[in-house]
Parts: sequence; C-alpha cells; structure tokens
Amino acid sequence: MTVAALSAAEAPPSTPTRVVSRRRAIRRFRLSLLAPLIALFAFVLMPVLLLQLYFSVHQWTVYLGSWWDADYVGLDLFKEVLTDPRFGWAVLRSLAFATGSTFGCFVFGFLLAYLMRKPFRGQALYYIIFILPMLTVPVVVAYTAEMMLYQSGPLNDLITRLSGIEFKPSWLANPDLALMTVGLLEIWNWTPFSFIIMLAGLTAIPKEPIEAAEILGASKWRIFWEVQVPLLRPVILLALVLRFLEAMAEFPKTWALFQGGPGSATETLPVYIFMTTWQYFEISKGAAMSYIVMLLMIVIVLFAIQLLRQEKRSLDKMYEQTDDKKVEA
Amino acid sequence: MTKFSVSRRTFVEGGLGLTVANFLPGTMPLASAATMEESTVAAAKSAGPAAVNGMIWSPYLVPMQPVIAEFSKQTNITIGAVQDISIFDAPQRAMAEALSRSPQFDFIHIDSNMIPSLVSAGYLEPLDEYMKKANFKIDAVGDYGTFMTYGGQTYGVPTDGNVHIQYTRKDLIEDPDNKKRFADKFGKELKFPQTWEEEQAIQEFLMDPSKDLYGSGNLRNRANGPTWWYMVYYSAGGFPFDDDMKPTLNTPAGQYAVDIYLKDKKVNHPEAANWGTPQQIPRIAQGHVVSCQYWDGTAKLNENPAKSKTTGKWLYGLVPGSDFSGKRMHRSISSPLAAILVNKYSPRKAQAAYLALWLGSGKNSIPIVTDPVNTFNDAWAKEHMTSDAVKNAYSPAGVKAIEANFQVVAPPIYLTGYLEFQDALGKNLSEAFVGQLPAKDVLKKTEDEWTAIIRRIGQSKLKKDLASYKALMPKRIKPA
Repeated sequence: MTVAALSAAEAPPSTPTRVVSRRRAIRRFRLSLLAPLIALFAFVLMPVLLLQLYFSVHQWTVYLGSWWDADYVGLDLFKEVLTDPRFGWAVLRSLAFATGSTFGCFVFGFLLAYLMRKPFRGQALYYIIFILPMLTVPVVVAYTAEMMLYQSGPLNDLITRLSGIEFKPSWLANPDLALMTVGLLEIWNWTPFSFIIMLAGLTAIPKEPIEAAEILGASKWRIFWEVQVPLLRPVILLALVLRFLEAMAEFPKTWALFQGGPGSATETLPVYIFMTTWQYFEISKGAAMSYIVMLLMIVIVLFAIQLLRQEKRSLDKMYEQTDDKKVEA
Repeated sequence: MTKFSVSRRTFVEGGLGLTVANFLPGTMPLASAATMEESTVAAAKSAGPAAVNGMIWSPYLVPMQPVIAEFSKQTNITIGAVQDISIFDAPQRAMAEALSRSPQFDFIHIDSNMIPSLVSAGYLEPLDEYMKKANFKIDAVGDYGTFMTYGGQTYGVPTDGNVHIQYTRKDLIEDPDNKKRFADKFGKELKFPQTWEEEQAIQEFLMDPSKDLYGSGNLRNRANGPTWWYMVYYSAGGFPFDDDMKPTLNTPAGQYAVDIYLKDKKVNHPEAANWGTPQQIPRIAQGHVVSCQYWDGTAKLNENPAKSKTTGKWLYGLVPGSDFSGKRMHRSISSPLAAILVNKYSPRKAQAAYLALWLGSGKNSIPIVTDPVNTFNDAWAKEHMTSDAVKNAYSPAGVKAIEANFQVVAPPIYLTGYLEFQDALGKNLSEAFVGQLPAKDVLKKTEDEWTAIIRRIGQSKLKKDLASYKALMPKRIKPA
C-alpha cells in the first residue's frame, strides 16, 4: 500500500508546529542535563580508560624509562593475569566475600526495614541509630573492630560471660576466620544501605493488594510471601546488585586490618590489584587486571539489568491483570 | 728530685719561636675551624631563603621541630606544607610521585631501603655535592653511613637508626629459682642468649601463658616477618643472590632460617600471625614478653617509667648469632631505616638538602633521638653513643647494645624492587606460619617468584645494583 493510496481520512494528522517545537525543547533540555555527564565521561573518564588500555597492552614498570617508550606486548599481560593462580584465588575470595556480605546485609537490612515499615513513637531515633554504621568511615570501623576482636578482647569476653562457655576464636590471626571477620564488619557497616532501600520499597507497596488479601483471610505469613515479597522483588534485586558491586570493591577495612594476611587469607581482588600496582609497581599488569575486573563487573551489571527488566515486566503484567479485574468488576 | 730552671733568654726565645710557629701552615688552632653545623648553615644561606615542602610522618617530625626552628632562624629556610603519611604507606606514595615526576615534595622521609627503587625511577637527588659544600659527613656508627649510598652516591641522611637489639628479661633470667630449674633441666646456666637455639630454649622455659607471659615478642605478620628471617639467614652465612642475580634462598642456610622462624610459633602469642608493632611494643614494655629482638627505640620506651612496667628489668645486648656456617656469626638488621631523601624535580632541592644535613649532624640529632614521647627516631650517630642525654634515654646498657649491633647490621634486600621482593618472601613465610604452606615449600616458591621479579625488572640492571647491596653488608662476624 502506498501513501497515495491512503484516503484523506486514513492519513495521519500532520504534527502541529507547537508540538514539534515542544519536542525539540524537551530534547534540548535532556541534552543540557546530560551534557555535564557526557563531558565528564569524555574528558575525565575516557582518557583514564584509554591510558589504562595503553598500559595494559604495553609492558612498563616505573624503573624502565618513560612510559611512552614501553614495549607493545598485545594481550600478553591479559594472558599472564588470567593464568596467575594468585589472581584466580583473589577472584574467588572476592566473590565469596561479596556474596556472603551482600546476603548478610540484605537479611539484616530487610529485617530492620520490616520492623520499621509502620510509623511508631520514637521511630526517627531508631532510624538514626540504624543508619549510623553507614556513616562511619570504613577505616575507623576497622581500627575500632581491631580493638574489639582480639582473642582476649571485649567481644569474646562478653560472649564468654553471657554464654558461660569459653569463646576464644582468633578473629584476626586465624586464616580460616580472617575473611569472615571482614565480612562481618562489612555487614555491620553496610546493613543500613540495604535497610534504606528495603524501607523505601516496603513503604511504596500499594495497600490495595494487602488489604484484598486480608479480606480474603490470608495469614500474615502468606501475605508476606505471596504479596509483599513478589512486589518487592525488583527492589530486592536492586539492593542485592548495588551491594554486591560495592562489596567486590571493598578495600579499606581489609587493608587496614590484614594487608592481605595472615598468609594470603584476605588477598581479595582490590588488595591484589593494589599490591601489584603500588607495592610491586607493575603498572601494566595492574592495568590489565583492572580491565579484566571491569569486564567482570560489566557482565554482572548487564545480567542484573536483564533481571531487573524481567522483574519490571512481570510486575507491570501483574498490575495490568489487577486493573483488568477491577474493570471487569 | 731535680731542680727545673729556665733562663730569661731561653724564655724569650721560646716565646718568639711559639709565636712564629703559630702562623706556620698546618699549625693554625683547630678551634677557629667552622663546625659541620656552621658550614651547613653557611652553605644553606648561599642557597637562599625558601619554604620547603615535605612528606613525613608526624611522630618523626614533632621531635625535629625545635631543631628545624633553629635552622630556620639562621638560614630563613623554613618548613612549608607537610603531608603527614605513615612511614609504611610512604613508599607507595613516593613511587606515585616518581611516576608523575612531581615537584610537590622537596623532601621525603622514608625507609632508606627504597633508595634503589626511587633512584631507578629517577626521583632522587644525589647529596654528595651539597655534603661537600657543607663539609658534611654522615658520622654513623660502624659502616652504617653506607646504608645511605647507592651506585657510589649518597642519597639520604638518616634520622632513625632503627637497628635491632636483643631484649631479654633480666629479672627472669637472674631469678635464682629459674636459674636452678633451668640448670636442672638443661644442665647449663640460664643466661643472656648467644645463639638462636639458646634463645628458643629460654623462651620456651620461661614463658607462662597462664600469666599472659609469652616467650617471644618478635613480629611474624606478613609485612614485618621477613625482617626477622633475614637476621637468622644472614647469621647462618646466607646471601639471597649469586653474582648472576639468581636467587639463592633455597639452601640449607635458608631452610635453617625458616625453621628458626617457624619455631617462634611455639613461644609467641597465638595472635602473632597478624600482629605488628602497635600490639607487640606495648606487650614488651608492659612485661608480657621474655626475650626478643626489636628496634632500639623500644629500649627508650622500656626505660621510661611513665610508660613502662619493666623499667630496669631488661638486659640489652647483641642479637643472637648462629654456628650454622661453622663459625659463630651475628647479624642485626635495620629496616625500615628512616631517612630524609631529596626530590630531584624539586625547585628547592638545595634548601631541602641542607635542611636534611642540618638534621643529620650528630650534635643536632641528639634531641631528636632522645625525645621521651615521640620515640620513633632512634640513635645512630657516633656522637649519640657518648652523649649523656642518649644514655639517659636508652640506659647505658641500651646504648652499648645499639653500638654493638650497629657493627654487624645488615639491610634487607637493597635492590630496585625492594617492596616486591619483600612482599613475596613475607607472604610465603606468613602462609607457612599460619599453616597454609608447608615449610619446605617456602623458599622454593619465593625463589620462583623472585625469578619472575628479576626477569621483569631486568637481570643486568639488578646485577649492577648488587654491588651497592653487597657494600652494605657488614664486614665482621661479631662486634669488635
């Protein structure tokens, strides 16, 4: 069918000039909002990424002349990193640390948010108390924890007194516990983050589905599992993804408490990259490592975005169905 | 008794003769020559006034301030901006400065074992010309002054000797009951340890964990552990590289040092695997340790009754030695050895250099190394060893121990890539200490990692560095 074949009645109405100029204005407005970000990316982030790319394909250490004279080595450094068992262990440690601490943050954050979802007297005070750990500088968390966690320190002593059983784990010197120690500190430090996100999610849940479920006689547990949790899934996913990415990059507490030790028990990705770049001054290998980690993170983020989209779609579908039922009723 | 008489003529002739001789070359009175401090001031004045910026950790800077103030008064060279960075973090920061060829800092205060790496990165200014102009000499005990040199040039001025000395609890080893029990058990006298094996026996015998008294206070954490390992390894006759820069750790001497290193687990605190100075120094001063090697500044803390429960309870002396090589050899260590280095890219490098020289004169540094509160700068100069103020701060026995250990002091790895070599060894020793790596694999693994480091930095470059490293090694097997 050609345009000419269309009848005058079927032809789309021509867009009025006012609408066009409005669209242009919106586009200009959007651009002006994005411009600083684009400029930041182009002039600050991009040069750094390019420089890092340069270093990752050129073999250069600080001791060997100017960086622009470094030998081109192609992908050799990437191969070296990927076959370095120390790097492999660092990846595994970071994944274990990030998974464990993210899960911990989420469980406690969700629990606190659930308790705080309805207003009550003195809620603001509790809110401040729950937020406080997140406002504490990670290095301060580490040094304070160090004092608490000695074998004969206050924490073990308190647990021993309360339980009546001698409790003396060596939180800071046992290589089997060291990573878990940082994980527990991470949970303490960042539970407020999950708490804030989950609280926002819980307070944004529409009341109607819950009220409907209550009228239909559903138990609180069933309402929680079958109504609230499904509605919260996109928020839960967001909280988990953001926390996981943050946890993968945890450095200050791990470094302040352990510097990779005891043995190599806390040699996580950020620690190993730091050591490679600034302890061993292997700038090129450090750059290659950073690129690999960046790619790993991009994969995780893309996967998360995909999941979030799916969640959003299924939520939209659920709301559409609810609206249809309302109309039918 | 004979009668002594001088005639009037003889007296006048003698007087005339002395007057003439007074003006002959070489007979000018020494008192009229400028002191080292005066010539440093004169040279600094010729460089012109300036405010120099530096990177230095405040516990080191605070006791220097009165001495710097005097220099500023005389030369108009003052301290400008100071970045307060821990000496343990300073190497990374300094390398970042070298990387960017930054003129931000005129001087840096750092572990002098970083000199080879920083020179190789093109960051350091040689100080020989300034020293010549100021008629300055690093008047250190023994051959300690060579620790500031690399490739035949001087790059630093020490402010902190940081030599390891032996600390053994006098009250415990002189206790008659302990002496008797020890003699009954081992058939020999309980006395100040002469070898690593003797020390281990004393530590095991006297420790009592039920009273929170542990045999050792030595560091076994990843960052500091190698410092102790080197002492044993060197004393067993080991040296880490052959002339071709091939690592020579995996030898009987190396394994002996690993065994001694790991035996410490029996006598050290259960949490020693992750403990550094903030944990162990207070334990030493508060009486929870029987015997150990530690930086000399700890003697100053021990002998300060306001901060210590063990004042007067320590014997200080030479670190233990080893008979492993067939002859008894003692090797102490100095690491980190804090020194002032000057930035080659600085527009005020002359002023910074003269400030460093001023702070590094034996006389000027006495108040710095005797500060009773900020005890980070430890004695190192010949003049310190005879100073009453230093003896008062460290105790006469402490000063004697410092002097003895300086005569057999060795560095850790003194090569470009120092931190890299150090961390590879530290990681593997630490893994063995906590049971992650079998003791027999420590040196093999370290050698493999060191070989990779050598390949990366360049074998021929490191072979040149080796001469500077060897020049720092002590020439005698025990103090004179």
